[in-house]
Amino acid sequence: MTLINNTIIDGMAFMLPLLIMAIGGIFSERSGITNLAVEGLSGMGAFTGALAAYIMTTCLGISSGPAYYLSFLFAALGGMLLGLLHAFLCIDGKANQVICGVVINILAQSVTIFLVKTINREIFGKPSDKIDLGVSARYTVPGLSKIPVLGAFFTKIYPFEVMIIILTLIASYVLYKSRFGMHLRACGDNPHAVDAAGLDVAGIRRRAVMISGALSGIGGMAFAYSISAKFSASYFVGYGYLAIAALIFGNWTILPTLRACVIFGFARSAGYQIVQKLGYPSSYQDLIMILPYVLTLVLLIFWSGKNRSPRALGEIYDKAKR
Amino acid sequence: MNSRKDRIRTAAVCIAAGLLVGAVIILLLGKNPLKAYFNLLQGCGLAPKGKYASGKGMITDLLSYVDSVTPIIFAALAVAVAMKTGLFNIGVSGQMLFAGFLATVTVGYSSLPAVIAKPLVILIGIAAGALLGSLVGWLKYRFNINEVVSTIMINYIVSYVVSFFIQTRYIDTVSRQSKLIRGEARLTLKNVPIAGYKCDIPLAIVLALAAVIAVHYLMHKRTLGFELKAVGYSPKAAGYAGIGVGRSIVTSMMISGALAGLAGVSYYLGYLGSIQPKVLASTGFDSIAVCLVGGSEPVGILGASFFLQIISKGSTYMSSQSGLESEIASVITAVILLSTTMSTVLMEFMRRRRESREKRRAENDSDQ
Repeated sequence: MTLINNTIIDGMAFMLPLLIMAIGGIFSERSGITNLAVEGLSGMGAFTGALAAYIMTTCLGISSGPAYYLSFLFAALGGMLLGLLHAFLCIDGKANQVICGVVINILAQSVTIFLVKTINREIFGKPSDKIDLGVSARYTVPGLSKIPVLGAFFTKIYPFEVMIIILTLIASYVLYKSRFGMHLRACGDNPHAVDAAGLDVAGIRRRAVMISGALSGIGGMAFAYSISAKFSASYFVGYGYLAIAALIFGNWTILPTLRACVIFGFARSAGYQIVQKLGYPSSYQDLIMILPYVLTLVLLIFWSGKNRSPRALGEIYDKAKR
Repeated sequence: MNSRKDRIRTAAVCIAAGLLVGAVIILLLGKNPLKAYFNLLQGCGLAPKGKYASGKGMITDLLSYVDSVTPIIFAALAVAVAMKTGLFNIGVSGQMLFAGFLATVTVGYSSLPAVIAKPLVILIGIAAGALLGSLVGWLKYRFNINEVVSTIMINYIVSYVVSFFIQTRYIDTVSRQSKLIRGEARLTLKNVPIAGYKCDIPLAIVLALAAVIAVHYLMHKRTLGFELKAVGYSPKAAGYAGIGVGRSIVTSMMISGALAGLAGVSYYLGYLGSIQPKVLASTGFDSIAVCLVGGSEPVGILGASFFLQIISKGSTYMSSQSGLESEIASVITAVILLSTTMSTVLMEFMRRRRESREKRRAENDSDQ
């Protein structure tokens, strides 16, 4: 019983940050900009958010409650700024978008780790390679949590889980129902038509990539709070790439992407619970850690063939070309 | 001719941008950038240090630097071969670890004599890397799986599985790494006295130089190289011309993987001699920078390897001398990488400038 409950609790805490990062990726890719930079964007978000949280709680004396929510705002900003760089390189710099995404990841990783060490030593005066975050408070909904099995969905919830669910609903509305969302999707399929309709392709794409950065940053911050309770070099474990794999199964649409995230999240948490239950030594956790990655490859084998990516994805938009 | 000049100039601009940004950061931290950059050279044995530990000298550092460049050359060639075919192999570090681990457990701990062990290590490295590489190529052409996603997934899988085996079987409890391999299997001869100094002789550098020539020959003189490049330019056109696109993708990834495997054995069984669990070599990512700066051409890569490795290798000494974090090296490399992504625009800018200059000259000539 507790096995199933814990699987659900941990699975939700893992899959929701993954989902919001994947949705960010969908925004960027539906607008026609390949975004392999999700890993770097989320890492940059986690770094700026963690730094802001640390400064707010230890230096400015803001209580951890508001600091928690504000840190997500800073995480979104950090991700957005790096997203702007990706957009600049891809749109104005005419960079190869695949290479550019990987380069952004390398940049984010080296810059954040360098800054963490330097800031810790130069400003806070202690040599350390991490920024500690308090462990996030978790809430249990009274009453609802008593329902067998389903109650686990209302037990030990991180506040960010609620935030991400709300953001997901807003993002779905924006992408599928709003005028901006329609223009965005048109940019990914037929940018020349968008241009002919008198709209600014580059501007729409730039905004899409910035949204992608902001959502990735929020997802990264959520991972920093839930999995590690700190920001350090160990943050970069490739969850950004898992998010990309999720959106590829999801065929660049939000609801099927949610399904992929559910599979990843629950496979991982169930694996952990089973290793713990069987009482294997901790080195066996390494073998469980490969579960989401193996699952990604296996699922990609079955799904990739049927997929249809946005038609103009990854192409540099050239007005003169027809 | 001019396009090659432009390429070299673009690389120079990118490197200058990286060094400039690095200098600004170092200045902001209140340190002297020129001194820091000189420390980089000292750390690589390219400039004399103030004092040396007993039995060590400039040549010790220089050979150690060459030893550390060797895997980078292989790795960057691996990236380049894939890139020519339009594939982006960021799984080099995973392929390196896989090859290095297999060679370590099969030959590294065995009692084979050096004449058999060393070639065997190299062969296992090539085979293991080629196997993993062609798997990626096969997944790409058979199931349409983006090689970037699959190589990243394989990177993590290899890293965790190798870490599991090292921690359960081959761990050295003091160093927290895998046990040091035997000298007979090692591709670097350790502590050889040269002119009174203890030096490490990197044997694999000879192989690396041969690989540079071989890849150059393959890409420019052989039909296979032409086919791979054709698939890279336009898979559709190549297909119409009767080139097997699927076969080319698998072949390209196989060669790329084999080179990555060589990088792996020269890194883990040469430069290091052991494997640290749960860590993927940064070589795999540095090699992307080297490949891009080198313009994906073998000769350019050779130069870029030696140049960029000064930054990474020398950073440890710089850190100890000036108190800067050694991670500044990866920041500088990342900025160089960022600038290379814009090389299309840079080249276009140079071409346009050259054209307008030529036009002006032509006008002046006609005026006279």
